[in-house]
Amino acid sequence: MHNFDYHRPTSLADAAKRLSGEAKLVAGGMTLIPTLKQRLAQPSSLVDLGGIAELRGIKPEGGGLTIGAMTTHAEVAHSAEVKKTIPALAVLAEGIGDPQVRNRGTIGGSISNNDPAADYPAGLVALGATVITDKRRIAADDFFKGMFETALQDGEIVTAVSFPRPDKAAYMKFPNPASRYAMVGVFVARTGGGIRVAVTGAGPGVFRATEMEKALAGNFSADAIKSVKIPAAGLNSDMHGSAEYRAHLVNVMARRAVTACS
Amino acid sequence: MPLDPATQKIRAFDQVGTRPLRPDGLDKVTGRARFGADATAPGMLVGRILRSPHAHARIRSIDATKAEALPGVKAVVTSKDFADRSDDLRDILVNIMARGKALYEGHTVAAVAATSASVARKALKLIKVDYEVLPHVTDVDLAMEPDAPLLHDDLITSGVEPVPTKPSNIARKIEFGHGDVDKGFAEADLVVEREFKTEATHQGYIEPHACLASVGSDGQGELWVCTQGHYMVRDVCAQLLGMDVSKLRVTASEIGGGFGGKTTVFIEPVALALSRKAGRPVKVVMTRDEVFRASGPTSSTSMRMKIGVKKDGRITALDALLKYQGGAFAGAPVDYGGMAGVACYDYPNIRVVGYDVVTNRPKQAAYRAPGAPMTAFAVESVIAEIADTLKLDPIEMRLKNAAKEGTKSAYGPTFGPVGLVETLKAAKAHPNYKVKLGKNQGRGIASGFWFNFGGQTCVSLNLNIDGTLALAVGTPDIGGSRASMCLMAAEELGIPYENVRAIIADTSSLGYNDVTDGSRVTFASGMATIHAARDAIKKLCGRAAKVWGIPEEAVVWEKGFAKPSGANAGNFEPMSLKELAANAAKTGGPIAGHYEYNAENAGPSFATHVVDVEVDPETGFTKVLRYLVCQDAGKAVHPSYVEGQFQGGAVQGIGWALNEEYIYGADGRLQNAGFLDYRIPVASDLPMIDTAIVEVPNPGHPYGVRGVGETSIVPPMAAVSNAVSHAVGIRLTESPMSPPRILKALGEQAARKAG
Repeated sequence: MHNFDYHRPTSLADAAKRLSGEAKLVAGGMTLIPTLKQRLAQPSSLVDLGGIAELRGIKPEGGGLTIGAMTTHAEVAHSAEVKKTIPALAVLAEGIGDPQVRNRGTIGGSISNNDPAADYPAGLVALGATVITDKRRIAADDFFKGMFETALQDGEIVTAVSFPRPDKAAYMKFPNPASRYAMVGVFVARTGGGIRVAVTGAGPGVFRATEMEKALAGNFSADAIKSVKIPAAGLNSDMHGSAEYRAHLVNVMARRAVTACS
Repeated sequence: MPLDPATQKIRAFDQVGTRPLRPDGLDKVTGRARFGADATAPGMLVGRILRSPHAHARIRSIDATKAEALPGVKAVVTSKDFADRSDDLRDILVNIMARGKALYEGHTVAAVAATSASVARKALKLIKVDYEVLPHVTDVDLAMEPDAPLLHDDLITSGVEPVPTKPSNIARKIEFGHGDVDKGFAEADLVVEREFKTEATHQGYIEPHACLASVGSDGQGELWVCTQGHYMVRDVCAQLLGMDVSKLRVTASEIGGGFGGKTTVFIEPVALALSRKAGRPVKVVMTRDEVFRASGPTSSTSMRMKIGVKKDGRITALDALLKYQGGAFAGAPVDYGGMAGVACYDYPNIRVVGYDVVTNRPKQAAYRAPGAPMTAFAVESVIAEIADTLKLDPIEMRLKNAAKEGTKSAYGPTFGPVGLVETLKAAKAHPNYKVKLGKNQGRGIASGFWFNFGGQTCVSLNLNIDGTLALAVGTPDIGGSRASMCLMAAEELGIPYENVRAIIADTSSLGYNDVTDGSRVTFASGMATIHAARDAIKKLCGRAAKVWGIPEEAVVWEKGFAKPSGANAGNFEPMSLKELAANAAKTGGPIAGHYEYNAENAGPSFATHVVDVEVDPETGFTKVLRYLVCQDAGKAVHPSYVEGQFQGGAVQGIGWALNEEYIYGADGRLQNAGFLDYRIPVASDLPMIDTAIVEVPNPGHPYGVRGVGETSIVPPMAAVSNAVSHAVGIRLTESPMSPPRILKALGEQAARKAG
């Protein structure tokens, strides 16, 4: 680890002020700290969001939920509010990493990092969530920009995520046996706005399986998408599974998610 | 009391066979236990190692002048700091510090000692190594090709007549067996022949290698180290550094897992060389990345297995070709592995040919029953296929051929009393064997064997003033042996278990002890403890005789008391161990018991495993539903630890079967040197592993004990493969049986059915 300054502001305004030069925000630190230890990043300072009370918590809002950026995966997984309103989101959070990760990692940190195998991006995109920052509101569709890229600008801080309540939703993932990251994760949601199928782990970033969405619009059943093939071209291929294997898993996980919705 | 010589029956026990709390448990869960990296010394420096980024490269030169000039750097060592040698330690010498060539990615090239980790890291970057990159080979079959890149110009295959004139990557050919296999196959009604491949795996111990070395200006050295054998470390290091053995004292730390991987040296001689050069203590701790790349994983293999049987399932012949690569130096365990892998059955005709092959990978080290799981995978898979084809019950077929007392083993000796039949019967009788299976579920059976070792052992037992005991053993406790030693000492002396404290003594406190390996410690150190206790009892009886003024022979020891042997001996109140201890100063001074020997007749341990799996036909994922280990322990001294050994071996074997593998890139570099990519099973992956302890006493031990640590890793690969085969009708012949591999096989099966 290289040397850096450490700040723990207690207000969002103070945090924003600290974000100059090569400063980096740290939420749960589940990705950043290992990166620092491996010397793959050299920030001038770390601004720890852990001291800002307003960033935590789960609130019912407009029929849906607003989840503060510093809310941990464990808090989402165990929240009665989440289980009542969007149970699939609680299931998603319960399946992230391991208990240690779930007790440290946060929703804001996860989506800001936008790991291509992270679970939350699929949930946000499928549910049509809105990312709230200290400057604006960004639709999830516009927020995730490919591998480790987001629409966030320098100095912009995610404060919360707002989820509408779906009629039905389910998340199915095939985890990497070691890291529990998604080899493939598919979140299917049926809302007033239609049906969304969001895929994580398979490609360089979360994406919507639009052919599946179309097929499901006419017939919301696993059979409707059985023959919808996801092209392997452009999907991730690594020692854990080829692009073809991942493409196959997308179909399997999508069908299982649809079945779980009905 | 030993086996009664007249009846050959085992005595009844007061404490052996109970499950007291482990003496090291609280320290381990509270963090008080001191592991390798916890050692510290005044003025300590940080040692770091420069490793080859190339799989195979000539080292033209090493320029460390800039590193040496960096403030805070106190020493840099290379191969020039170790005298060359031509004896049987040369491979170790070249492995711990590359000489002339880097033979694998991660091979140590130089090392530095500096005042801080960051200075050491900077210094490594300043060392300029001029490499000439050479072609490499990491696959065992490719390494045996005539035009394969050659690792050693002087490696001539041993065991071949006439002696080859050219060097190759084949270090050794072995062959063993008996009978006439051609005749045996001619007599067979069914012959099944299959090829198998297994990938290398790592022991996956949680504690990385770590040591603290301190060599003074007078040439006297101390080493604190995490190891399975500190006497081995002392002897090897002293020789590599040209020190008198007496000048080096080695203390074994608490150990966070070894499984065979800590039965050799890696960083220890380097740390000592750095300390000697710097004149200060030096601590070296491997990172997990270094552990994967530069310690000793197991062999990868390529095998052909052919077995012939009569219609009733009786085996007529076995013919095997085994190719094991053991990394950059000779020594792949094709011999022990091959012998153990075929040991479960009685073959009228058997021939096993094996090759020990070198490749550009780290030198393999022992891993729990070294070499046996691979050959057993091949044998037990073919046996299962035969049973399926002939529609025989897999346990009945194994019973028909099972090795038992009087069976001549393929590797030579004729077995004494052994427990394979009993484990098969225990498996069949267990409730797990009767559970009805559902769709996509299958049951797999496999048996396994390990020789078990005895070896050089020395223990010392000292009586304290209050009647408690200090027991010093020289075999690091990697699986609960201190608890077992305490139980055996308490049993002999007739005192509470809690009154005995066992420690792992340093190398200057006891005579030589072989490393903790071969499942030998509870057997060999345990037997030495029993004899040391009896030695002490003899002295205790002598002291009582002295007080009572009667002959020593007229005193007996019973459940913690010296007593007159009978009415003729005199009428004296029994004297307790506590009284004898309190009076020791007045009756002749300290009381101790000692024993040193080379233990023999370890008595092998057989096992039978039964596993139920469910295969997801859409993803290829295999879930273990239930798993049963039935194994012969001879006599389970501490049953909880015996069960723990059964469970641990099974879990490591399941990992090998389903997930774990060393993955090399085309560049000869390891692609998955970390636990995020190298996948060992964790608690949430598996069900509780069920166990059934079988006790067929080993006549070579006073209590009938057999080693239990290793056999449990032998059957799982085959058992899981057999279960997968029964679940979805595909037979996999390569490890690991990962989801993509299973899905591919299912696709091929579907294509065959359609075509």
